[in-house]
Amino acid sequence: MSEACSVSLSGVRRVYDGARALDDVTLTAPKGQVLALLGASGSGKSTILRLIAGLEPVDAGEIRFGDELVSAPGRTTPTETRRVGMVFQDYSLFPHLNAAANVAFGLERSARGEAIGWLERVGLGNRANAFPHELSGGEQQRVALARALAPRPRAILLDEPFSGLDPVLRAELRETTLDAIRAAGATAVFVTHDAEEALLVADRLAILKKGKLLQEAAPREAYDHPANADAAAALGPVNVFDGRVEGGAVATPYGRVAAPGLSEGGAARVVVRIEAMTLTPGTTARVRDRRPHVAHDLVRLEAQGLVWLALVSPRAPTTETVDVALQPSGAFVFSG
Amino acid sequence: MFGAVIVSVESAILPRAWRFDGVSVAGAFAALICTAPALAVFAFALAPSANETSLAGNLMRDGVLGTLALMAVGGGGAIVFGASTAWLVTLCRFPGRGLYEWLLVLPLAAPSYVLAYSYSSLTWAGGPVPFPVRGFWGAAFVYAVGLYPYVYLAARAAFASQSVCALEAARTLGSRPAKVFWRVALPLARPGIAAGGALALMEIAADYGAAQHFGVTTMSTAIFRAWYAHGAPHAALQISALLLAAALVFLFVERRARGRASYAGGSTRWRPLPRYEMAAPLAWGASISCGSLVVLGALAPLAWLLRLALLHTSGDLGALAEPLFNSLLLATCGAGITLVLAAVIAAAGRRGAAGKTALFAAGMGYAAPGAVIALGALSLFGLAREAGWVGGFGGALAVGALLWAYAARFAAAGAQPIDAGFSRLAKGIDASARTLGAGAMKRLLRIDLPIAAPSVAAAALIVFVEILKELPATLILRPFNFDTLAIKAYFYASDERLLQAAAPSLLIFLAGLAPILVLSHGLARSRAGAR
Repeated sequence: MSEACSVSLSGVRRVYDGARALDDVTLTAPKGQVLALLGASGSGKSTILRLIAGLEPVDAGEIRFGDELVSAPGRTTPTETRRVGMVFQDYSLFPHLNAAANVAFGLERSARGEAIGWLERVGLGNRANAFPHELSGGEQQRVALARALAPRPRAILLDEPFSGLDPVLRAELRETTLDAIRAAGATAVFVTHDAEEALLVADRLAILKKGKLLQEAAPREAYDHPANADAAAALGPVNVFDGRVEGGAVATPYGRVAAPGLSEGGAARVVVRIEAMTLTPGTTARVRDRRPHVAHDLVRLEAQGLVWLALVSPRAPTTETVDVALQPSGAFVFSG
Repeated sequence: MFGAVIVSVESAILPRAWRFDGVSVAGAFAALICTAPALAVFAFALAPSANETSLAGNLMRDGVLGTLALMAVGGGGAIVFGASTAWLVTLCRFPGRGLYEWLLVLPLAAPSYVLAYSYSSLTWAGGPVPFPVRGFWGAAFVYAVGLYPYVYLAARAAFASQSVCALEAARTLGSRPAKVFWRVALPLARPGIAAGGALALMEIAADYGAAQHFGVTTMSTAIFRAWYAHGAPHAALQISALLLAAALVFLFVERRARGRASYAGGSTRWRPLPRYEMAAPLAWGASISCGSLVVLGALAPLAWLLRLALLHTSGDLGALAEPLFNSLLLATCGAGITLVLAAVIAAAGRRGAAGKTALFAAGMGYAAPGAVIALGALSLFGLAREAGWVGGFGGALAVGALLWAYAARFAAAGAQPIDAGFSRLAKGIDASARTLGAGAMKRLLRIDLPIAAPSVAAAALIVFVEILKELPATLILRPFNFDTLAIKAYFYASDERLLQAAAPSLLIFLAGLAPILVLSHGLARSRAGAR
């Protein structure tokens, strides 16, 4: 039933007032899968959504839906004929229409029955006659989702759809949203600045910084094999050390990290995930501080004047000084 | 001339060609309808003509001098009254402040000619007031007390939107109220005052009825004299062109000043403004000053008209029925047509450069005095008749021309509140509708207009009353023997039958109160946190 298709950008650039908001971005949301765009504010992730929606033209490169070219310089298929659904950060519900009429807006004729069907799918069948100002934030978000999915778009775009909600509601709503998207078989592009959320939600993950694509990969792949230091840092807290390659490895105050493929004597940046630090009683580092962090303990260490963090089991040793082992799966070296 | 217009419209559209849609085209077309009479005035005035030049020169010189003098005295008074009352009401505390906040707007209800008729009879020999209000000083007085609300509203908005922090900072630095006013509040509010002042001056330049009644030669009265007394249409057109050019300068000043005023705020923290406590004598002085302005600009002339009307029109009410009906008919039809054009222009104005041009172009009609617009429309009809497209300038055609002139003159007055209503729409709403497959027309009809409905209603009321009050364009274009309330009042006053002029004047005054009472409710709440 759904006519979902892949969405691919190649070499896309977007310039605002001479500044490149996006530069040479190439990535693909495979048909029927969820692509998460992860980045801080100003990374260009929302710009990508607006370009895919056709709300703005591209300055270079092209965007295709399946094989169909929809954006190229000087040529922008109008948003209204692209058949994309979009869930906005502020939901942007039409304030003068009730929930059912909002959902029915994109449907042919006034298909109230169909609209109510979509509201039921997001658990709001009983709120069809409520106006946006009568709905809670979470309810508004679900109406916006139903409204975007109802016309069976070729792709659905979600711009930080959970950012205004409290954490418990957020997790619940994320499940509802993903279930609805997967049930509809839609291709989804999902923007977030929350790494945990991106890892939870995505089939494919694109990490952006200052308008450039750092890495595009499956979540596991991106987490275990970051393409560069920024990409590694984007997916979770890390310790960073700048040094030189000597004897095929970089020596940090906390231990040596192998640097395969890097030239001997060259500058290198070591990135170690905080959960890749294993502590044993010893003398290498002093424990400055130890605090519970959800199911783990967050330990602040100091060695040779360098402060690093470690995420350890609460059963790890509680001595004042420790030895540290860096697990290779979470320790990376990039040329500096 | 028209070739140039079309080129400029196209060049405004072309860069956005990829967003070329029905609404933009309709907007450009609507703007063209609204600007055609004004453009025609320029085109015909520049065309070479017979020997009317010297006549135009003399009349023009007298008119320019009269208009400038009235602007200096009447406009200057309006600016001083408006700015000082705005400061008092916004930033000081004195008896009756809350009441004056909206009472001070009331003089806007009466067109200048109604005030002029009222004051003439009020100070007539044997009237209750011994100081005669007549001649140049009479006209200047009527403008000053009748038009200061334009300045008051703009200045009040400017004072109210000032950063509380800037004012508080000045006070913590030890500035006394007078110093805060001169050194901080007034400089910050200057763009607002300039915008309001430009509007008031524009009204003075456009006014025909009051100047004519007081026998002052201004550019507006000179147009009529050239046209009717001297039978020199080309001279009339030339004076019109100059007046229009002047009006455009004021429009430009107003737009620029308002644009800058919107940046003046700075702080986004909205708290009730800290108002100065005034010592008792000063506070009562402030209260009496504001009170006198309300009395002079609205209450006294209104009460006097009421008294005259009650005393002298009881047997004459039947004579008013037809003009009243005509006025309502014209205002209803005119407001309907104007509103459609205004809505289309405002909608187009939200869709990029072409629409913005349309919005500005429509503003040109608003700046143009009614007499100028009427002459432009009349000239275009003359051209059409020469070309054999239309027959004689009879009843239906004249009404058509009149409705066109109203639309040209007031489309901007309607487009502005509608545009303000649109600007309250969140940006994402439009994008939402587009992702749901709604084209430009569907978005306009199903999203923009329903959400902006209260603004559209306000615009309808404003345009309706403006048309009801309009005198010079109606005077020029109306079909023979087709009288409206304004026309009736004008002819009675011209014949020195001020008693009979009272009833139609009163009706116009009362009609003018309606939008003010409705809108001032919203204005008082325009500042978040104000009670």
